[in-house]
Amino acid sequence: MSDANNDIVLEIKDVHKSFDKLEVLKGISMDVKRGEVVAVIGPSGGGKSTLLRCATTLEKVDNGKIVIGGDVLCDGGKYCDKATEKEIRSKFGLVFQNFNLFPHFSVRRNVTEALIHVHKKSKDEANIICDELLLKMDLVEKADAYPCNLSGGQQQRVSIARALATNPEIIFFDEPTSALDPELTKGVLTVIKELAREKMTMVIVTHEMAFARDVADRIVFMDGGVIVEEGPAYELVTNPQQERTKAFLAGY
Amino acid sequence: MDGTNDVLRLLLSTLTQLVQGFGYTLAIFGLTLIFSIPLGLLICKGRMSKIPVISLACRLYISVLRGTPLMLQLLLVYFGPYYVFRVSLGNDYRFIATIIAFSLNYAAYFAEIFRGGIQSMSKGQYEAATVLGFSKSQTYFKIILPQVVKRVLPSVSNEIITLVKDTSLAQVLSVAEMFTKASAAASKQVSVMPFIVAGLFYYAMNLLIEFILNRVEKSMSYYS
Repeated sequence: MSDANNDIVLEIKDVHKSFDKLEVLKGISMDVKRGEVVAVIGPSGGGKSTLLRCATTLEKVDNGKIVIGGDVLCDGGKYCDKATEKEIRSKFGLVFQNFNLFPHFSVRRNVTEALIHVHKKSKDEANIICDELLLKMDLVEKADAYPCNLSGGQQQRVSIARALATNPEIIFFDEPTSALDPELTKGVLTVIKELAREKMTMVIVTHEMAFARDVADRIVFMDGGVIVEEGPAYELVTNPQQERTKAFLAGY
Repeated sequence: MDGTNDVLRLLLSTLTQLVQGFGYTLAIFGLTLIFSIPLGLLICKGRMSKIPVISLACRLYISVLRGTPLMLQLLLVYFGPYYVFRVSLGNDYRFIATIIAFSLNYAAYFAEIFRGGIQSMSKGQYEAATVLGFSKSQTYFKIILPQVVKRVLPSVSNEIITLVKDTSLAQVLSVAEMFTKASAAASKQVSVMPFIVAGLFYYAMNLLIEFILNRVEKSMSYYS
């Protein structure tokens, strides 16, 4: 494998996806380099979330190619075998809009369960990783708490810790602050900013324009199932070229 | 004082008989739970299957078993083999037929309760487990089932308590369970006393079950 290829963590090429007769993704292509933070913005129903769900194996594309961490998830709409799929799932993390923490597990178990039972780490190793992450997320004292006793912001930080635990090459965020009120949003955004500083590769679907502008290296604007415009974050927000992008950003 | 003695003697003999029968009652109760819960889970899975034949068959099963009297099902399971296949299965078959009929019947109810529980789980739980790399069976047994247990417990408790009382239906097959004994004692003594004592037994058993189920429910109340 060449160095150039090695540097690209996520490769999406001409991806098409329809739900029944409704074409939601009409040929999307994008690459994400190692250490890069890409924000995906655009109106609801524009295909952002579907793209993320396709990249994270939760939806199957009809056609196109997706490569994550050098492993081909699908090519020409044809999917890899189960073993490769499992391998790919260990290479990315996903943070959901509504957290999807496991309510019957403590914070610690939410973070360590996959480490122990999927990645076959020992309990001690998993706990060390967990403690480190909880420290980073400012949740040390919540290790034994249950999700129902945490605020939304704390829950989202636990879910970020859970996604980070397996040391993925890339993390996807699906509107990570949309379910939070503004006060709680801050803590989550601070954590993501911190990850960006550490050169974590991230793809963030978000409606937080100021955040996208300040944190992302690149912004992709999607509407109607296509990428309308993309470019360096600051430029795209302050000086959009396309009419649709201008109209969308004017609403913020 | 002979009168009092007679009453005491009657009460004692009634108690002895009922206690003898209570063993069968407990056995019907316990064995039915042991067989009907896994069977119910299986039928629930079948009912939710994407294969139309399986799903349809399970729907039909649930519909028929819930839609006809348990007493009729007991009689059919017991007499069926003889009238249909001309095989005689001996005296032990009374009890076996009782367990079969009870298990088949309760499985239908449990299947629907479990289905309600499983379908009430959010899609997000499956998705979170999937992207974390959990296998299908890990997802089911570690993530989904424990939460379903908590959700279905109140409905399952209902069924368990009903089952205690339903065991009395085994009387139609002359299984020597408590209610059969109580009926026999009542007609022999020409008195309702055995029925009242049997009633106290059923109620005491259900009080104990209620107590246990409350404890179980409490033990799962650490999360919501």
